[in-house]
Amino acid sequence: MDYEPPSRRLRILSIIIAALIGVLVVRLWQVQVLQGAWYLQQSEENRDCDYTIPAPRGIVYDRKGRPLVSNRPSFTVAVLPLELRRQDEVLANLSAILDLPVEEIQSRIAANRDRPFAPVRVRRDVGPRIVTMIEENRLDLPGVIILAEPVRHYLYGPLGAHVLGYVSEIDEAGLAARPEQKYKPGDLIGKAGIERAYEPILRGIDGRLRMEVDAVGRPLREISRVPAIPGRSIVLSLDLDLQRAAAEGLRASGQKSGAVVAMDPRTGGILAMESMPSYDPNLFATGISPAGWQRLTTDRLRPMLNRSISAAFEPGSVFKIVTASAALEEGIVSRTSTFYAPGYFRLGSWTFRDLKAWGTVNFMQGIQFSINVVFYNLGYRLGGERLAAQAKRMGLGALTGIELSGEVAGTIPSPSTKQDLVGEPWYPGDSVNMSIGQGAVTVTPVQVARMMASVANGGTLLKPHLLLGIIERDRSKTSVPPVVQREGIYRAQTLAVLREGLQAAAERGTGRASAVKGLSIAGKTGSAENPRGKPHAWFAGYAPTDAPRLVVVAFVEHGFRGGLSAAPIVGRVFMAAFPPSPQTAPPETSP
Amino acid sequence: MILSSAQLRHPPRTDVRTPRILRYVDWVLVASTLGLVVGGAVILYSATRTSPDPWTFVRIRALHAIAGAFLLVFFAVIDYGVLARAWRPLLAGTVLLLAAVDVLGRTAQGAQRWIPLGPFSFQPSEIAKLLLIITLAKHIDGHREITSWRQILPLLAHAGIPILLIVQQPDLGTSMVLMAIFVAMLFAGGAPMRVIAGLGAAAAAAAPVVWQMLHEYQRKRLIVFLDPGVDPQGAGYALIQSKIAVGSGQLFGKGLLHGTQNLLHFIPEQHTDFIFTVVGEELGFAGAILMLVLFGLWLWRAGAVAVQAKDRLGMLMAVGVLTMIGFHVFVNVGMTVGLMPVTGIPLPFISHGGSALVIMLAATGLLINIGMRRKKILF
Repeated sequence: MDYEPPSRRLRILSIIIAALIGVLVVRLWQVQVLQGAWYLQQSEENRDCDYTIPAPRGIVYDRKGRPLVSNRPSFTVAVLPLELRRQDEVLANLSAILDLPVEEIQSRIAANRDRPFAPVRVRRDVGPRIVTMIEENRLDLPGVIILAEPVRHYLYGPLGAHVLGYVSEIDEAGLAARPEQKYKPGDLIGKAGIERAYEPILRGIDGRLRMEVDAVGRPLREISRVPAIPGRSIVLSLDLDLQRAAAEGLRASGQKSGAVVAMDPRTGGILAMESMPSYDPNLFATGISPAGWQRLTTDRLRPMLNRSISAAFEPGSVFKIVTASAALEEGIVSRTSTFYAPGYFRLGSWTFRDLKAWGTVNFMQGIQFSINVVFYNLGYRLGGERLAAQAKRMGLGALTGIELSGEVAGTIPSPSTKQDLVGEPWYPGDSVNMSIGQGAVTVTPVQVARMMASVANGGTLLKPHLLLGIIERDRSKTSVPPVVQREGIYRAQTLAVLREGLQAAAERGTGRASAVKGLSIAGKTGSAENPRGKPHAWFAGYAPTDAPRLVVVAFVEHGFRGGLSAAPIVGRVFMAAFPPSPQTAPPETSP
Repeated sequence: MILSSAQLRHPPRTDVRTPRILRYVDWVLVASTLGLVVGGAVILYSATRTSPDPWTFVRIRALHAIAGAFLLVFFAVIDYGVLARAWRPLLAGTVLLLAAVDVLGRTAQGAQRWIPLGPFSFQPSEIAKLLLIITLAKHIDGHREITSWRQILPLLAHAGIPILLIVQQPDLGTSMVLMAIFVAMLFAGGAPMRVIAGLGAAAAAAAPVVWQMLHEYQRKRLIVFLDPGVDPQGAGYALIQSKIAVGSGQLFGKGLLHGTQNLLHFIPEQHTDFIFTVVGEELGFAGAILMLVLFGLWLWRAGAVAVQAKDRLGMLMAVGVLTMIGFHVFVNVGMTVGLMPVTGIPLPFISHGGSALVIMLAATGLLINIGMRRKKILF
C-alpha cells in the first residue's frame, strides 16, 4: 500500500489536545492552589449553619407569685434565603401550605436582605398539621425550616393588657435606635406596657447553635452550642384578684370605656390598672395579621389606649378635694363654716347652677353631698392661681412618672397660663368653674389615684409604680423601694377635715354605692360634664379609713353619675381586697 | 517474510500465535485504562457512599466494566477493516437507534436519551459516538481527497443527521462531541482548510436555530456560564458549588471520603457529570494531576496509534477515538472549574453511566486493535 500518514496534521491535532490538557492544569493550579484557601473557606461556610437559640423572655408574676405572662413552646416556619433554590416554586408550595400570599413571604425575605444567612420567619406559632406537612414535603421545600421557639403567652388575654403590653418583631426604627444591644431583624421586642418598660430585664441573651448541614439544609451534626440565657423574671405589684375585680366592675357598668387604678397609698405600688375596652396581646406574640392590626387601630373606641395614664379627662367633682384642701390650707374655711346654698351661684350676669337648693349647710355637708355652691364660693375666694397651685402640689396636671410609656400630663389651667395658651384673660368665672373640676381641667385616673393616696397616707406624693421586684438569675430578689415625690402637702388640720368629709361622702353621701360590709371607706364622686356626651363618672376612694391600705379610682367615660356607675366598681375592688372575714359572715342556719 | 517448511506444513494455531499478537498490544494504553477504571470506581464509591446502599453504584460499575471488557476484547480482536466494511448498515443502525429514542425514549431532565432494553436501558447517543467514528473513517477512507461537493455533501449528511437527531433530544454535549470528532477526522483525512473553515461558519450560522431547540434549563446553563452570579441559587448553583468543591481541595485535598461538598450533596449530578469535583475536593491538585496524567498517557498512546496505523482507515479511527476522549476530558473538567459551560457530558471511565463506560472501553479495544495490526506482516 502506498499509505503515508498525514504526519503534519496529526502533529497539529496532538498539539491541540496537549494544549487543552495544559489549560486544564493551569486552571486547576489557579483554582486549587492559588485560590484554594478562599474556596476552602467558602466550603466551610457552606456546611456550617448557625441557628439562634432564642432565649425565653422573663416571666411576669403578680404580687402573689401568680404568672401573668409566660412563654409556651411553639413552632415557627422560616426560610433560609440562601438555601432557597427554585425560589418561585418553593414559595408557591409554602404559600399553599401556610395559606399566606406569596407576596407577603417575598416582602419578608426582602426586608431581611442584609443578612442572607439568617432565617427569615414567615409564620410564628404554626400548628402540628403545618409542621407535619412541611416535614413531609421537605424535598420540595429546600430552604424552608421549622424553628422551635418560645412564644409569649398572656395567660389572661385582655385582662391587664394595657399594663402588661405586648411584644412584636422589632422594626427598622427600633433596630436603628439600639445599635449596641445587638437586636436582629425578626427579634421580638416589648412594644408597650411592662414588656416595653422592662425590655432590658425581660429580654434574655440568645444562644447559638452551629450545625453542619447538607445541601438541602438538613442538620447533620452539632458543632458547637452556646446556651441561651433566659431573661430575668419580674414580680409586679399587681394583684390578679383586684385586676379581675376591676375588669368585672368596668364590664358591669354597662358602658363602653373606662379605667380603674388601684394603688397602695403606703408604697405607690399599683395593685390594679385596667382600661376598657381592651385587646388580646397574644395576637401580637405570634405576629398580628394586617387585618387584625387594622381593626385594632381604627376602632373608634381605641382599645389600645391605656385610659389610666394615656388619656386625660375632666375630673368633675373629684377636683373638689383640691378646692377643699386649698381652702383649708389657706384658712378661709373650717369644718364648721356655713354656707347658704340656694341652688345657684351668681357672679355678675353669670349664673352657676347646682342640682338643687340645699339651704344653709356646713362645710362638712358640702363635701358629703358634693354641694357645688359651697365650692363655687371657695373657688371664687381662692382664685385660679391658688387653685392651680394646690392642684399641682397634689400632683395633678403633671406626669406621675409611672414606668409605662405614653403617659400624658393633663391640664391644670391658671390665670398665668390661660393668657399664653388661649389668648384670653382669666375671668373670675373661670375660678368658679374650676372649683368643681370643670373648664379646661383634665387629669388622668392615675394622677387622681396618686392624689387620693396622698390624702390617705398623710400628705406624701408617691410615684406610682408597677415593679415590685426582679428575680435575678441566681434566684435572689431585688425589690424596688417606694419613691417619694413630695412630702407634707397638707397640714394636719386640713387632713383631718378632708378625711372626715370624704368618709362621710362615701358612707352616707354621694358615694354610698361603694360600700363594702364591715369596711370603712372614704371617697369622692365626680360627674364631669364634657363636650362629647354624657358626663364622665368618677369615684376615688380609699380604705380602711383608720389605716388606709388601698386607693381605688374608677372612671367611666360617659358613665353619667359617679355615684351610679363608678362607685360600684370601686366597691367591687375593695370587696376583692378586703373580703368579708368568716367571723363577720352571717352564721349558717342549721336545718 | 520467509516461513519455515514446518510452519508451512502446520499452519500455526491461534493459541500459538496469540502471544506474538499480545507482544504488540499497547500495554501503556491498557494500564492507563485500567488505572482510570479502577480509580474511577474508587471516586464513584466516594461520590455515592451516602446513598442507602453505599455499594450500589460500585456494583453496577463492576457489571458495566465486565461488559465493557468483553466489548473491548471483541473490538480488539476483530479485524477493523472487516468491521468497517459493514459501515452502511452500521450507519443506518445508528440513525435508526437515534430516531428510536424519540419513540421509545425515557426522559431524564426533560431530555430523551435512554432506550429501555429489558431491565436495562442504554443511551443510543453514546453508541452513536463509536459507530460514527467507525463509519466516518470508512466513508472518508473511500475518498482520496475531499474537495468537491459530491464528496463533502454525503459526508455532511453522514455526520449531520446523527448530530441533528441528538441536538433535538436535546443533548448539546454529545452533539458537540460528535462535531469535534467529525471535524478532527476531516482534518486528519486531508480535507482542505477552506472546507473545515466553511463547516465552522455553517455551524456558527446554525447556532441560533440550535438555541431555539434547547430547553430553558440548558439556555440558562449557557447564560450562567458567562455570569454565574445571574442566578446563584438556580442554574449558576452547580457551577459555583463545583468550583468551591474543586478549589477547596487545595494542593493535596481533604482526603479520600472526606470531601464536605461531596458528603453534604452540595453538587448536583456529582456521581455523573460532576464527578471530577470529588477528585478535586478529596484528592486536591495532586490527585487531579494524577488523573490528568493517566488521561495524558492514554491520549499519548492513542496519538501514537494514529501515527503508526498501518492504513488510513486505522489512522482515521484512532483520530476519532483520540478526539472523543480528549474532548470529553477537556469539556468535563473545564466545566467543573468554570472554563466551559455546563453541557452535561461525562468524564470518560469515571462518571457513573453504563453506556458511556462500555463504549469508551470498546473504543479502547478499537485502538488496541489498530495498534496491534500496525505491523502488516503479522496478518
